Amino acid sequence: MRQAQAAERFVHPALFYRDPKEYLAGTVPFLLDGLAKGEPVAAAVPAGNLELLRAELGDRAADVHCLDMQQAGRNPGRIIPRVLRAFADSHPDADRVRIIGEPIWPGRGDVEYPACVQHEALINLAFAGRDVTILCPYDAGRLDDAVLADAHATHPVVVDGGREQISAVYAPARVVAAYNRPLAHPAGAAAHSFDGDGLTDARHAAVEEARGLGLAEARLVDFSLAAGELITNSVVHAGGSGVVRVWTEDGRVVCEVRDAGHHTDPLAGRRPPSRDQPNGRGLLMVHYLADLVRVHTGPDGTTTRFYMDR
Amino acid sequence: MTAAVLELLPLTDRMGVRAAGEVCLTTRASWERALGALVGPGDDVHLELSGVTYVDVAGASAVAAAATRLEGGRRLVLHGTPPQLRLALDAFWPGLTAIEVTLS
Repeated sequence: MRQAQAAERFVHPALFYRDPKEYLAGTVPFLLDGLAKGEPVAAAVPAGNLELLRAELGDRAADVHCLDMQQAGRNPGRIIPRVLRAFADSHPDADRVRIIGEPIWPGRGDVEYPACVQHEALINLAFAGRDVTILCPYDAGRLDDAVLADAHATHPVVVDGGREQISAVYAPARVVAAYNRPLAHPAGAAAHSFDGDGLTDARHAAVEEARGLGLAEARLVDFSLAAGELITNSVVHAGGSGVVRVWTEDGRVVCEVRDAGHHTDPLAGRRPPSRDQPNGRGLLMVHYLADLVRVHTGPDGTTTRFYMDR
Repeated sequence: MTAAVLELLPLTDRMGVRAAGEVCLTTRASWERALGALVGPGDDVHLELSGVTYVDVAGASAVAAAATRLEGGRRLVLHGTPPQLRLALDAFWPGLTAIEVTLS
């Protein structure tokens, strides 16, 4: 096991910080070291922390690819394809690519968190064997202890108080399984069953529900595409039929599709496709369009739901 | 139950196809057949899509594949592009120079 860890080229430390000073002490030298080595360097962190980094880096900030994670990574399910791999894959000749990725912040709600922590766990699988370093800051002063405990399970190394320690409880697959939780829909949500012949009707019905629930017209285009891809996936990959439901929750419109399928590939919908591959973009598109995606999958079937802000 | 319908007609004034209806799983085969028939020598190829109300991601993939098959600097020019098709092309084939999305 030690040998396997020593041989792993992907480096994925968590950084626990409690104030701006600790944040900058843990991140800025990491960025400057990468720049000094000529490595491509990116920072995808919440807007407030991005401002801290920019101010401290001064002129050097122009050499760092900066992204507001609260926008780019609002749906944690798109961070691997859209943020991390998008940057790493665009530098195929680099000896190493360095990224600061901060996907979890105190404002993340209970509905989002399982998707956030599954994303953190899946980073290890997505980048195994690659010459990439992804440093993940955690606001240890404000995040719950349970979140920090999960960070120990999703990162092989944790830096706390400036000291780096190998995590004894590192177990990303266990985290993915532990947060694969059943999703209950509200009793009153209208249900539309579909099979291959009825898939168009089901999409139209879902879009009309969303319109009736007040989803903005521009967002209805996103909604129709996302709902259509989930419905199509059920027909093509998951036994040929399913049930779609739409409702509102905390000001957001939710669309859920249940079918008999079972996801056995934990990275489904998170791999950027090669330009020429004909299929396999549907779930990826749902991740790109939605503000949040939650999945529960098992031998008895799969529930996939996406959330869109109104 | 109303199955999706897609009407496809060759353009009379230039090389290409006029489509109306929905591009989805139900109509995918005829969509791909029509796009597949657009290869061959000649000028730019045009798709008149103002009558198309929906294009799924697989339908967009077929458009990108058709554009990629065109040779000699020819382009696939899209007219009346439905918003879903624009979203999918922007997401997965940004900068595909063989596709021109017109505003008309």
